[in-house]
Amino acid sequence: MTSPAASLSAVRVPKWAFAVSLLGLIVTYLVLQENGLALGASSELLHEFFHDGRHALGVPCH
Amino acid sequence: MTTTYRSIALRGVAAGAVAGVASALVQLLVTEIPIRAALAVEAAREPSGDGHGHSHGGEEELVGRGAQVVGGMLGVVIVGVAVGLVFATAYALSKRWFAAGTPFTRSFAFGAAVFGAVALLPWLKYPANPPAVGDPETVDHRTALYLGVVVAGLVIVWGASLLADRLREQSQPVRTTAVLLAVTAAVAVVLLAFPASPDTIPADMPVAVLWQFRLSSLAQLATLYVGIGVVFGLLVDPATRRAKTPAAAPHH
Repeated sequence: MTSPAASLSAVRVPKWAFAVSLLGLIVTYLVLQENGLALGASSELLHEFFHDGRHALGVPCH
Repeated sequence: MTTTYRSIALRGVAAGAVAGVASALVQLLVTEIPIRAALAVEAAREPSGDGHGHSHGGEEELVGRGAQVVGGMLGVVIVGVAVGLVFATAYALSKRWFAAGTPFTRSFAFGAAVFGAVALLPWLKYPANPPAVGDPETVDHRTALYLGVVVAGLVIVWGASLLADRLREQSQPVRTTAVLLAVTAAVAVVLLAFPASPDTIPADMPVAVLWQFRLSSLAQLATLYVGIGVVFGLLVDPATRRAKTPAAAPHH
């Protein structure tokens, strides 16, 4: 009988996992924060499209 | 079993999608009501406005109201998937987090802690505001403050986990009490150290609408983050699947 923690410690996290996590954070940023810094003019459209979700998740908005 | 990072990450994506859809449904059925009320307040300010959407300084609106409802829900689902992926990676890395617990307990506690750090703590310091409240001039400042509290919350969770690990030789009530006291003190410091929001609530925004929105937002955040912890926990805990395994793999 192995303990739950023992089976978990067998998981080896590869280096590309950090790239994947960074991608997740970038996507979160684009949806919740993009105000023109990364995408320029097209960000206005993105901003308006995700507008309700930004408010609903409590992220500051104008 | 869940022994590779790839399988853990895919479960994180699935948990994020499920919790994101649940949170998006809360948005459609609950949060949308005060958002509509707030947009009506906004529309009443501009005589030229037609009462739809969210205009920038009177220019033509880019996205219609219906698209904003769909986009808002879609945004929540996308954030759910992205957060689920990061959640799964952090879970795989944090081997000391509730090390004695089952995978479900560990995941549920992790989801609850992440909710506290990145949702409840910022909500307490800078409560969510509906449309028609924020001042465009201060949005960068408010965003920086908000992200500062989020980072502080994550540092508190990390520190609590480290402290609990350091105190693992202590008897149980001492250990839990010490960690809870340290977390409470750290939360108090964060709430006191960060400055108040630079914005004031406009006089034409009804208090009932404001708080209905804030509580709806909190419910939605709880659905998202605790939901990820619960669903991910169910997906990674071997106990959930044990009963189904014999039926799924018949021998010939």
